[in-house]
This record gives sequence, structure tokens and C-alpha cells, in this order.
Amino acid sequence: MTSLLLSSLIEALRCLPGVGGKSAQRMAFHLLERDRERGLKLADALREAMQRIGRCARCRDFSEEPLCATCAGSTRDHHLLCVVESPVDLAAIEQATGYRGHYFVLHGRLSPLDGLGPEELGLAQLAQRLGEGEVEELIIATNPTVEGEATAHYLAQLARAGGVRPTRLAHGVPLGGELEYVDRGTLAHAFGGRMPCDHP
Amino acid sequence: MRLDQQPAYVLHARPYRETSLLLECLTRDHGRLGVVARGVRGERARLRRAQLEPFQALALDLLLRGELATLAGAEVVGMPLRLAGEHGLAGLYLNELVVRLTARQDAQPVLFDAYARTLARLAASEPVAWTLRRFERDLLEAIGYGLQLRQEADGDGLLQAQAHYRYDVEQGALRCTAGAPHAVRGADLLALADDRMPDRTGMAALRQLMREVIRYHLGGGELRAWRVLAGVQPQR
Repeated sequence: MTSLLLSSLIEALRCLPGVGGKSAQRMAFHLLERDRERGLKLADALREAMQRIGRCARCRDFSEEPLCATCAGSTRDHHLLCVVESPVDLAAIEQATGYRGHYFVLHGRLSPLDGLGPEELGLAQLAQRLGEGEVEELIIATNPTVEGEATAHYLAQLARAGGVRPTRLAHGVPLGGELEYVDRGTLAHAFGGRMPCDHP
Repeated sequence: MRLDQQPAYVLHARPYRETSLLLECLTRDHGRLGVVARGVRGERARLRRAQLEPFQALALDLLLRGELATLAGAEVVGMPLRLAGEHGLAGLYLNELVVRLTARQDAQPVLFDAYARTLARLAASEPVAWTLRRFERDLLEAIGYGLQLRQEADGDGLLQAQAHYRYDVEQGALRCTAGAPHAVRGADLLALADDRMPDRTGMAALRQLMREVIRYHLGGGELRAWRVLAGVQPQR
């Protein structure tokens, strides 16, 4: 490769997930050969986003304003607060459910070996919010991993201390799944958490 | 070197590259090992990922080359242990303790057995604090820093149940007065040696003692899990 700029562009593109040397090269050539205008747009968007997106002061989700749209809006249910590990989880819940309450993003889970404790997850901030009296139910949507479960336990205690009812996402067999192929842990959870069939 | 059906527990997993995990495992015959598990993350690999959670007894097929091992196969052994709530947090503490205090590839069959036993105790909801003290005692013993719990440090005398001691990491139990800082009753040290759970006062003193000892062996550092455990109230 002769062009220094070109090779540095390819190197820079490799920071994206799933992009190796070959894909990075394809992307770079594509932008240079066919789509310079949109390449510039991409550069602008990247710069803007990297410099201006911070965290919402209330829910810690990504936001370029001090308060994100979800927190600032008045149409959402202030009595419900859902705790998630990451903004990706928040997006997944938004897309899959009709949930209309608020969120709190931990940006991680309690994990001593990763250096993540209560301070790093902003739990003091969450405790304060629970103490304000507005929230009635804390929906704990951390991942069903060992660390996520430990975090859920911690959060549930936090909620009870603030007089808030904690709830946890149910575990179970995936829709369309077959029991034969479900791993033992999930099956044990699903079996232990079985529900009565008498829906009203 | 190929290891077949090696009894092991996953202590910690962190994402590695796109679809892989870098595991920290405790194996029975090769001690703590760094293990690369390729292609176990992502949507299509949910089954394998669930198997590689901590606290699950596993039989691993490993390819050991140099510093890291590569995972060739993993099988779940027995029923999944369920460490709920406080017991799960205690489990994370165990894992941090093992990772921070042991060296990689230092074979510790005794430690492995103690670890497995401790998980079973936590899963059976035995008192958390006492279960942790027993494990700390066994871990220190296994890595060669065992506590001197029967003899007095100065002189050849046996520990006296009624006397008070200050535990010095390098010397052992030194006699002191009852009100001295970090004083612990001889009876409590003997109880730990004999595997009998002491009373509330004794438990508090032993907890303090173990923290000092562990801090010393960490080279003055703190364990993150201490701060996590400090934030939860025991349920008993």
C-alpha cells in the first residue's frame, strides 16, 4: 500500500466489531471510489457523536442532552423503573415490549474481577432515585448470568430499602424451542419458576 | 499437551475477539488456567455459553500450549448449582480470592476440592460468613500460607482458649490484652482450627483477622468483592 492516508483509514476502520483487514479495505475503497460524499457525512456523524454524546444525568443512557428524551418527556410512567446492564439491552426492551416506564442503565454488572463495584454502576444515584418516592416498581432486567443474578440480588435489596417493589424478568424456555435441546440450567430455572395456568 | 475430561470450574469469563471468551478456570490437576473458548458467544452459541458460567462443575477437554489453553470441549457434570442472592455474591468473592491469590498453572488438588466443597455449602445455604472463613483458611493452607492456629508464636506453648491474641502474619498468634486492637480470643482461633463455628463475636474477630492476612498476601491491595459484600445485608 503506497498511500499513507489510505492505510491509516483501513487501520482505523478495523476498530469496528466484525471488521478485519479485508473488510476494512473493502470499505475504504468503496468510500473512495464510489461514495465520497457519504463518506464525508459518515466522518461528520462520527465526529459529532464521539464528541457530543455523553450520559443522561438521570438514567445514564447515551444522550447528547443533559437529560435524555425518555427522561425529559412527561408521557412515560414515572412509577416504573427498569434497570438494564447496557444501552443495547434498553434498545432490545424498547423494540420488543410495549414498556412505557423509565430506565436506568448500569453500564456493566457487579463483577469484582472486572473491577466493577457499586460505585462504577452508579448505584448510589439509583438508591437516591428510589428514595424519592416516585418509583413504585423496580424491574430488574440484568442478564441471567451469574454476575447479572448477583447484581439483581443487590438491586432488589436496594429497592426494598427504598420502599420499592422489586421484580425480575422471568427465565424460561425460548419461544419455539424444544425442551430436548434446552440446556440444563435454563430448564431447571423454567421448571422451578413454573406458573399456574389459570389465567383470568 | 492435551488434557481430557479435566475437572474444572470457570472463575471468570471476559469477551475476547468477536465470538470468543477468555476464561479463567480452576482445574483439579493444573491449577488456575487461562483458557480461550472460541466461538461460544453470539446468538447461535447460546447453549455453550450457558455451560461456561461460573459455579458449574465441568469436565473440560483442553489443549495446553504455553501460557494459555484452548477449549476443545466442555461437559456439564451433575446438577447445576444454584447460588441465589447473597450466596451468589459470596461465590463471586471466592472467585476473586482464588484469582488474586493463586498463580496460573500451579497445581492445587487440595484447593480444588476445598473450592468444590465451598460451592456445595453455599448452594445448601449454609451460613455464608462461616463458609467463607473455612474456605479462606483452606486456601491459605493450600498455597503455603497456612495460619498458625494451635501454637503461640512466642514460646512453645499451645494456644490458650481464655487468652487473647493479636495475629501477626509472619510470626503467628502473639499474646495481647483483651482490649487491644484486632485482639481475638484463643478459643476463636482454636474453633477455626477445629472447624467449629464460633459465636458472633468470634466470627467478627475472625473476619477482621482474615482480611488483614489476605490484605498482606495481596501486597496491601483490597478485594473488590469486599465492597460489594459490604453493601448487602445478610438475610439470616
